[in-house]
Amino acid sequence: MKKFLEEYIIESIICIIAIILIIFNPHKVTMGLTYAVNMYVNLFLIIVSVAFLSGFISEAISPDTIGKIIGKESGWKGILIGAIFGTFMVGPTYVFYSLFRNLIDKGAGINVIATTIGAWAIKVQWIPFAIVLLGWKFVFIFNLLMLLSAIASGFVVAFFSKKEY
Amino acid sequence: MQNFVTGIMMLALTAGLYIIYLRNNRSKLKKAIQKGSKNLIQNSIRIFAIFVIIGILQNFLSKEAVSNFLIRFSGLKGVFAGAVTGAIMMGPVATGYPIGKYLLENGGTVALASSFLASWVMVGVISIPLELKNFGKRFTITRNLFAFISVIIIALIMEVLL
Repeated sequence: MKKFLEEYIIESIICIIAIILIIFNPHKVTMGLTYAVNMYVNLFLIIVSVAFLSGFISEAISPDTIGKIIGKESGWKGILIGAIFGTFMVGPTYVFYSLFRNLIDKGAGINVIATTIGAWAIKVQWIPFAIVLLGWKFVFIFNLLMLLSAIASGFVVAFFSKKEY
Repeated sequence: MQNFVTGIMMLALTAGLYIIYLRNNRSKLKKAIQKGSKNLIQNSIRIFAIFVIIGILQNFLSKEAVSNFLIRFSGLKGVFAGAVTGAIMMGPVATGYPIGKYLLENGGTVALASSFLASWVMVGVISIPLELKNFGKRFTITRNLFAFISVIIIALIMEVLL
């Protein structure tokens, strides 16, 4: 139990906050919990895939292979792969964090991973919907700027966090 | 539906990789499945906790209340208010766009709507603990700080161009 609490300290605090809030407003907290369960069920297949894909990468893929495709030395090719992956994937970014960490451990470039996380803000499949609401000019400039920011983020994060890895 | 289709495709890809590369190596297969199962439990607890915060926040702070609060700010104050609120609220891209439209229709500036929308998808205050756990302090702080600065710059450029 002590080990569990140490490992999941933030999650335990969230649980305590939810219990306290449920006393004051049970309806809203229940609605919030229902949302959480629905989201989990909705993303369950992706969550399972990410977990087992991480297991596969750590056992079956050599660091050389990862390094060649999305490693530090992969240059613009790696950045482009990261940006495309981030732009097209669905579900929240944080669902993929453990997979990304695994890829870094196996030789993926920090710049590529940071670019992928940054590019997650752009969702190509939602652009038509955004254009209907906000107009093509707004959506085009907005997404272009976010893409440039994602690429720049890769270089900045890699520069400042290279000592950490 | 989109999540379901992507989930099925990812699951098929993962199963295919296990079958093709690990079926003849029992020890690696066992280790990969063990690691996968451990990942699944850990990720599920952490991700579910994030969903709980987002769910509770969404119910305590309605989209209309947040929008009406933001409209009161303009200029640089508006940019900062939008960026901070978007970073705290955080959510899927699809739900952010209608809020952006509501802000623009009700007198909010382009910079305010842009900063809120950009921060909504680029900065993740709620997921910072998970990011810290996976990538460490330097990565998390640099990435989120850079994203926040980018949000401000994007909002100002949008205001000038539109």
